Amino acid sequence: MNIREDARRAARKVLEQGKAQGVLGLREAGDGVSPHLFEDPGDIDSLVVEPKWLLAKLATGILKDLPDDYRLAVMCRGCDERAIVELIKRNQLDGAKIHVIGLACSQEQARACLCTRPYPSEVAAGDVVEGVDPFQDERARTFLEGDQRERMIRWATELKRCVKCYGCRNSCPICVCVPCKLEDDLWVGRGEIPADLISFHLIRAFHLSDTCVACGACQDACPENIPLMLLQISMRAFLMQEYGYEAGTDRERRSPMLSDLTKEPSPGYEIPGWVDSLKDSV
Amino acid sequence: MNLGFIKTTCPYCGTGCGLVLQVRDGKVVGNYPDRDHPVSKGSLCIKGWNAHEFIHHPERLTSPLLRKGKTFYPIPWDEAIDLVVERLGRTAEKYGGDAIGGLCSAKCTNEENYLFQKFIRAGFQTNNVEHCARLCHSPTVAGMSQALGSGAMTNSIKDLEGAKCILIMGSNAAETFPIIMGDIYKAKDRGARLIVVDPRATEVAKNAHIHLQIRSGTDIPLICGMMRHIIEHSLEDKEFITKRTEGFDTLNEYLTGWTVERAAEECGLDGDMIREAAETYATAAEASIVFCMGITQHACGTANVLAICDLALLCGHVGKEHSGICPLRGQCNVQGACDMGGLPDVYPGYQRASDPGIRKKFEDAWGRELSDRPGLAVTETIGSGGGDIRSVYIMGENPVMSDPNRNKTLEFLKQLDFLVVQDIFPTETTQFAHLILPGACFAEKTGTFTNTERRIQLLRKAVDPPGEARDDFTILCMLGKAMGLGFDYTDPSEVMDEIASLTPLYGGVHFYRLGHGGLQWPCPTDDHPGTPFLHKGEFTRGKGLFVVPEYTPPVESPDHDYPYIFITGRMFCHYHTGTMTRRSPSLNRETDKPFVEINPVDAARIGIRGGDAVRVSTRRDAIVTTARITERVSRGSIFAAFHFFEAPADALTIDALDPVSKVPEFKVCAANLRKEESDGLS
Amino acid sequence: MARCWRNRFRDAWCDMSNRVSNEIKGNTKKTGRGPKAIIFACRWCALIGADGAGKNRVQLPLNFRVIPVECAARVEPDSIIRAFSYGIDGVGVLGCHLGGCRYHNANHRALKRLDLLRKLLDTVGIGSGRLLTSFGTAHEYHQFAAILNEFFQGLREFPPIDEWARAQMTDAGKG
Repeated sequence: MNIREDARRAARKVLEQGKAQGVLGLREAGDGVSPHLFEDPGDIDSLVVEPKWLLAKLATGILKDLPDDYRLAVMCRGCDERAIVELIKRNQLDGAKIHVIGLACSQEQARACLCTRPYPSEVAAGDVVEGVDPFQDERARTFLEGDQRERMIRWATELKRCVKCYGCRNSCPICVCVPCKLEDDLWVGRGEIPADLISFHLIRAFHLSDTCVACGACQDACPENIPLMLLQISMRAFLMQEYGYEAGTDRERRSPMLSDLTKEPSPGYEIPGWVDSLKDSV
Repeated sequence: MNLGFIKTTCPYCGTGCGLVLQVRDGKVVGNYPDRDHPVSKGSLCIKGWNAHEFIHHPERLTSPLLRKGKTFYPIPWDEAIDLVVERLGRTAEKYGGDAIGGLCSAKCTNEENYLFQKFIRAGFQTNNVEHCARLCHSPTVAGMSQALGSGAMTNSIKDLEGAKCILIMGSNAAETFPIIMGDIYKAKDRGARLIVVDPRATEVAKNAHIHLQIRSGTDIPLICGMMRHIIEHSLEDKEFITKRTEGFDTLNEYLTGWTVERAAEECGLDGDMIREAAETYATAAEASIVFCMGITQHACGTANVLAICDLALLCGHVGKEHSGICPLRGQCNVQGACDMGGLPDVYPGYQRASDPGIRKKFEDAWGRELSDRPGLAVTETIGSGGGDIRSVYIMGENPVMSDPNRNKTLEFLKQLDFLVVQDIFPTETTQFAHLILPGACFAEKTGTFTNTERRIQLLRKAVDPPGEARDDFTILCMLGKAMGLGFDYTDPSEVMDEIASLTPLYGGVHFYRLGHGGLQWPCPTDDHPGTPFLHKGEFTRGKGLFVVPEYTPPVESPDHDYPYIFITGRMFCHYHTGTMTRRSPSLNRETDKPFVEINPVDAARIGIRGGDAVRVSTRRDAIVTTARITERVSRGSIFAAFHFFEAPADALTIDALDPVSKVPEFKVCAANLRKEESDGLS
Repeated sequence: MARCWRNRFRDAWCDMSNRVSNEIKGNTKKTGRGPKAIIFACRWCALIGADGAGKNRVQLPLNFRVIPVECAARVEPDSIIRAFSYGIDGVGVLGCHLGGCRYHNANHRALKRLDLLRKLLDTVGIGSGRLLTSFGTAHEYHQFAAILNEFFQGLREFPPIDEWARAQMTDAGKG
C-alpha cells in the first residue's frame, strides 16, 4: 500500500462526497512542500504526506476564518487527531466542523518521536505499526531516570540553551490561550535569554500536563534541540497508571484533574482521610 | 476560499529561515515555520515567529511625501519620480556625477539592489554606491578576499554540525543567529569542543567549554599567541601549508614577537587557556571558526579577519566539508547586496570596477558609459564632512540610527541639496529627507535574498503593499524609465536573468531553479547544482595567502574622564535600528526600554541599582538609559544594545575607521557613567 | 472561539498572584543559611495549626513564611513553580482532610494536581521532596511543627535551588 496514493484517494473521496468543503493537507509544488487547503478534487494530485507537519495547529488557526457552515477535513497523524480531540473537549474547536482523515506513521517516524501510539483511531492511509516505549530509549532514560542530581544537571544544561523563541508554545496544538501566562512578566521575566529555566519551562509543561498528546511539535520547533517532549513523559505515564487516562484517546472522558477522587479515583485506590507527602510515598 | 499559505524567507537575519505566511483576504494573519526548509527545518527564533507583526502596522508609509518646510505632504507617484530624476540630474549636471551618492539596502532583494546600483552607475556615471555592509562585514570582504580570493562564508551552515571544534569569535550567536546556534549545539552534543572569544560572558560563552574573556580589541594578540604556540609544538598542518599556501615565512617571522606570555598579558588572559584553545583547535580533525561583529567592528577589523584566515590556513582547516571560516552575515540580504555590486569598487559579482575590460562588458550590457573613478565609502565620506556629495538617494537604510557619531551624520544630511529616502516606515533618517518614497516589505514582493551561506532563496509575494506604496523593484523601474535607461522589466525574474548573464558567480541562477531550497553560489551554469563549500582543492585565488595582521589597539581607550569601555551590540528580541521590531508587539513586549549592562562591582561603587536611570556619555554624545546590573560585562566595561531610538547607543560611538575597509570601531570607545537624577529623563 | 477558561478568572487571580509574588520576593531576602520555604495554609485548618505553633512557641525551622489561603485548591501550581524560580527551596500546601473540604472536595483536586506536579519536579531533577502536601495532618500546632521540621530536614539534603534557578552551572572555564 502506498501511503501517498491512499491519502490522495481518501482526500478526493471526502471532497467528491461532500463530506467536507476543503482538505487541509500538505502540497508539493515548485516551492517544495507547504500546507494547503485543497478545495478542488483536481488539486489532490499534488497532495503529499511528508515531512512530519502537524496540521492540528493550522486547522485551529484557519477554522475561525472559515464560514460557519464550512466543514474542514484535516490530514491527521495519530497525534494530530489526539490534539483535535482534546481541543474539542476544551471547547476550542467545534467537532461538527472537523473531519479527520487518518494517517498512520511509519516505524522510523514512531521511533524518532518516541511515540506510543503512532496511528489515529481510523486509518485511511499508511500501515499501523506498534508504538515505541520512551522508557526503553537510552537517551530518554538519562532525562527521566537515574541519579537525581545528574538528571538535574542534564536538564539545566539543556534548558540553558533556550533562546526564548516561544516556538514550543507557538507550535503546540494545545496552546491556544490568549493571553498566555508565559508572556506575563509576573510569571516569566522578560528581556533576557535563556527564558527563566524554571518558570517558563515548567509552567508551560505543567499547563499541558493532562492535555499533552505527545506530538513532539515543541521539540521539533526548538532551534536548540532541547528534548522538550521528555518533560511530559513522566506525567503522562502517571496519568495512565493512576487513572488509566491518555489525553486525546477518548472523545468524552475529560481530564481526571477536573474531578474529585470520589468520582474518579485510581483503580483500587482507597481514598484516605488524612494524608501528607511525608508519610505516603507518591 | 480566499485563504492561502505562502512560503517565503524571513526578513531579519542572515540565516534566511523559511516562513509560511497564512494569508486571508489580502492580509497576513499568521506565520509558521517551514518544516521543509533546508536550513531552519521547522524552527524559528522569536523574531522569525513574529516577522509578520509589523506588515500591517498603521505607521506604514503609504504615499510619496514631499517636504514643505517642516511637514510632509502626499504627492502622486509621477510627480515624485519626475522630482527625483530632475533633482538628481540637476546635481549631476552642476557638480558632476560624483556628487551623487546612493545607499542601497541589505533588506531589499537582489534584483532591487542590482537595479539600484545600475541606476546610479549608468544613470549618473558614478560609482558612489554603498550600503550598510560598510558598517559590519566590510573587513570580512576585504580580508578574506585578500587571503583566500573570496570574501564569503566558506562553508554551509549545516557543516557546523560535523565539526569537532568550533571557535566562536566575537559572535553572540545565541541571540543573533539562534538557528545557527542550534547547529553549533548539535556539534557539541556530538562531542565537539566549543571555544568562545568574547569580552562579555554571553550565553554562548556560558554554554561553551572554554571562554576566553579577552580585553576588548585584543583579538590579534590572542590569535598570534595561539599560532605561535601551534608552531612551537609542531601542530600546524605542514603539508597543507606547503601545498596550498604562500607567505608562511613572513608570518612565521612576525610571530616570533608574539609569545603566549605576551599575548596573555595583552589580552588579560591566563596563558594556559590560550594554549588549551590553540591545541584544541589545531588538533581537531575538523574545525570551523565562526565570527561576527566582535571581530570586524574595530579600527583593525581587516587585520582581525586576516588573523583568523591565518589561523585557519595554518591548521589546514579550510576547504573541507566541516572545516571553514564562517563570517555570519547579519542582514537577510547583506550578502546579496554585496554580491549585486552595492559597493563603490565592484560591479555585481565582485568584478572590479577599475578593470577596463569588466567596465566595457557592463557598458555594453547597460548601454551607457560608466565611470572609471572608484566610489566613496559612506563612513569615510560622512566622517570627512561629506566630500563632494550633494545629493543622496537612500533605499531601505537608516544611517541616522546606525552610523557612528550621529552628529556628523546629521551635519552631512542637513547640508545636502536633495535627499530622497525610500522606506517602509518613517525612520530617524526619513525625517531629514526632502522626498520620501513608500516601499514594500518582504511579504509584498517577489525576489531573492542571499543568506550568509551564499544560498540564494526566493521570497514570494503574499499581500499587496498598503495604500500607494510600491515594491522597490517597481519604483526603480519607474525611475530607470524616467532616466531613459530602459528598465522595462515586467518581472523581477527578468532582472535575475540579466544578473546571471553578467555575473559568473550567479551565472546559473534563475527563478525557475530556486523553487525548493535555493542555490548556493558559485553557480556558474544553468546545470550547476551550486556549491556547498568553497576552496576545495584550490583557493579562489589559487593558494591561500598568509598576511601579517598588524595589531593596533583600540583608538579610544578608557582614561580618567571616560573610564569605561563602551561596547555596542544586539539583543535577541530586537533587530538593528528597531524600525520593524519596535513595532512588533510580541518583540517589543520583551524589552521596550533601552538599557545598559553594568557590572555589579562597578554599579555598587557608583551607587547604581537595577532599573535606575543612568547617563552614559562619550566625547561624541550622551544618552539616558536604564541600568541592568549583570555579570555579563566585566568590570570596567558597559554594554548597550543600539535598537532604541530613545537612547541611541550608536550615536555615542567613535567614527574611527579601519584604514582598509573603513568600518567604524563600534565595539570600543571610552564612556562615562553616572546616575541620572529623576527629573533629568529626556 | 472561547478564550481559555483560566483567563476568565484572571482579575481575581491576579490579585492573589500579585500578593503571592510579593511574599515570595520578600522571602528571598531573608538572611541566614539554610533552606527557605513558603507554606500555603488553608485557613480552615492548617492555618490554625500554624497560628498555634507561633503562639505556643514550639520549635520551628527558620526561614519559612506562611501564606493563608481560602482552600488548598486555591494554590495554583504556577505559584509553586514561580516560588522555585525565585530561589525558594521548598513549598508546602497544607489543607483539610480529604472528607472535610469546605468547598466541595476541592482539596481532592488539589491533591491530584500536586501529585502530578511532583512528577514534573522529579523529572527535571528539582525533586518531589521540595513540595510538601498535607491534607488534614497539620491542624494541631504540634502536628504543624512536626511536619515542618521533618520537611526542612529533607530540604537540607537538597542542594540550594539557586543552582538550578539562576543557571549558574556553566561548563566554561573562566578566561
